[in-house]
Amino acid sequence: MKWWKIASIVLLLYTFVAGLLIPLKPGLTDTTPESINSGAAATLTLTGYNTRFDQADPQQSRVWLRFDSAHILFGRNLKALDAAHLQADFQFPAELPVKGEKFARFDVYFDDPVNGLLRLENEIQVAATASPDSNALASGWATDTIKNVHRYQKMSFPILPNIYESGRNLYYHVPMWFAMILLFGASVWFSIRNLSRPSADNDRRAKTYAETGLLFGLLGLTTGMLWATFTWGKPWNNDIKQIMTAVALLIYFAYFILRNSFDDQEKGARLAAVYNVFAFSTLIPLLYIVPRLEMFESLHPGAKGSPTFSSQDLDNTMRMVFYPAILGWTMLGFWVADIRIRVTRLQDHLQDID
Amino acid sequence: MNIVLKLLRKEFLLEFRQGYALGGIFLYVFSMIFVVYIASVKVPAPVWNVLFWLIMLFASINAVVKSFVSESGSRQLYYYQLAPPALILLSKILYNTLLLLLLGLIAFGAYSVVGGNPVRDNGLFLLALVLGSSGFAIAFTFISAIAAKANNSATLMAILSFPVIIPILVTVIRLSRLSLGIMTDTTYGIDITNLLAIDAILLTLTFILFPYVWKD
Repeated sequence: MKWWKIASIVLLLYTFVAGLLIPLKPGLTDTTPESINSGAAATLTLTGYNTRFDQADPQQSRVWLRFDSAHILFGRNLKALDAAHLQADFQFPAELPVKGEKFARFDVYFDDPVNGLLRLENEIQVAATASPDSNALASGWATDTIKNVHRYQKMSFPILPNIYESGRNLYYHVPMWFAMILLFGASVWFSIRNLSRPSADNDRRAKTYAETGLLFGLLGLTTGMLWATFTWGKPWNNDIKQIMTAVALLIYFAYFILRNSFDDQEKGARLAAVYNVFAFSTLIPLLYIVPRLEMFESLHPGAKGSPTFSSQDLDNTMRMVFYPAILGWTMLGFWVADIRIRVTRLQDHLQDID
Repeated sequence: MNIVLKLLRKEFLLEFRQGYALGGIFLYVFSMIFVVYIASVKVPAPVWNVLFWLIMLFASINAVVKSFVSESGSRQLYYYQLAPPALILLSKILYNTLLLLLLGLIAFGAYSVVGGNPVRDNGLFLLALVLGSSGFAIAFTFISAIAAKANNSATLMAILSFPVIIPILVTVIRLSRLSLGIMTDTTYGIDITNLLAIDAILLTLTFILFPYVWKD
């Protein structure tokens, strides 16, 4: 038993427990109504996720709408309907923050000691009305002087619009990709070794790492497609990383077809090794080229306008699970390959090939 | 250099003496263009661009596949005794580059006649054709050397080539989109550098790996 096998079990158990059990932070998901006329009075109902509105102290809770630092509006008569719903009354001024515009979009904020500061961007649309109520304020905007907002203290993952609980897939989907690339890299490494010093063992390793890499690539693609269906609406999105993975899978499927189309095993091993090195090298320029192509727009982090994680969204709690997950899954991949190498070695011994 | 020229001359001689092979490839291109034209008649410029490069891709694979496959193993062994294997490979790559360039020009001419000619910047299109042909020639010649060793060469040639050619194909299509005026981008110098870099990487790898391919 090698130490890294134990480490991989420990890390994976940890990522399963922590990744699935740590709750998301409280967050706002919706408000009704979403569009209001200026100069009108309205009762907004806020819908929260993982919130405890019923435990909030009305004296310390605040709800406000924000356009910019000079235009905010406080809600009054806060009333928690249940843990996930909260009502507040608003009296909208007759004039919009920007004169001449047809409507203005406001962010919704909630703050209290139990739930911390919650925010929902661009949620409320206030439309300008031609004839405001007679008793409406001409201009009732307050300036943003809000201090002492609260932070949610318990251990939790960030909540992101459009992603919500599916964000946990980060710990299982992304490591598959890392494991795949490292396994393919190992396969290329042993292919090079097999070319410089041909041996049945080097070839076995090159072949098995490629097999395991294929397995992890398929798993990564599947988990990614499931996740994409939930967050981006469809399983295939012309995304760079999807394309790269698909090309890598094509290369290694071709690699196995090539290996098996020779009667002479040694010759097949040698030519497959050559193809492995040649084809893997073409994956690297693809990394530089594809971002220049307008036909593929990445939805993955780093691309603009992508509804997904960016480095800011990965908070420290997520990192505590994400990095061990990468290590754990990669080590598991090499462990699987290791077992497979030993099995094929024994099979070859039985057939007296070695 | 002298040897390379002699080998090139040998390739040309072989090709012209068995005129049916060369004629076969040209007929292949013409028939394919006609089939594509019948199936789509008049197409907008972006589709024209993609169809043209797909015709080029399939015609190139078919043109290059025979460069190693058509010669029997024992005859190849005889060649390797006469000249350094690397030079044989180089002459085949050069020959295929010229062949594919010619093929590209003929395909362009024929497709322009039946399908219209949307190219605005002829210089850039020609550059894309030259860089594309050389990239295709390097990758396909090497793959055909691998595929020639196996039993089922034609299928293998295609499945081994497709994933490898993707970086070259997408860059060339992008350059050619620019020459068609479908999009404007003044930074296409990077695309040309990228293509040259890929060609250089493939060429280097080809020469490093070729000794492991031809030695049996």
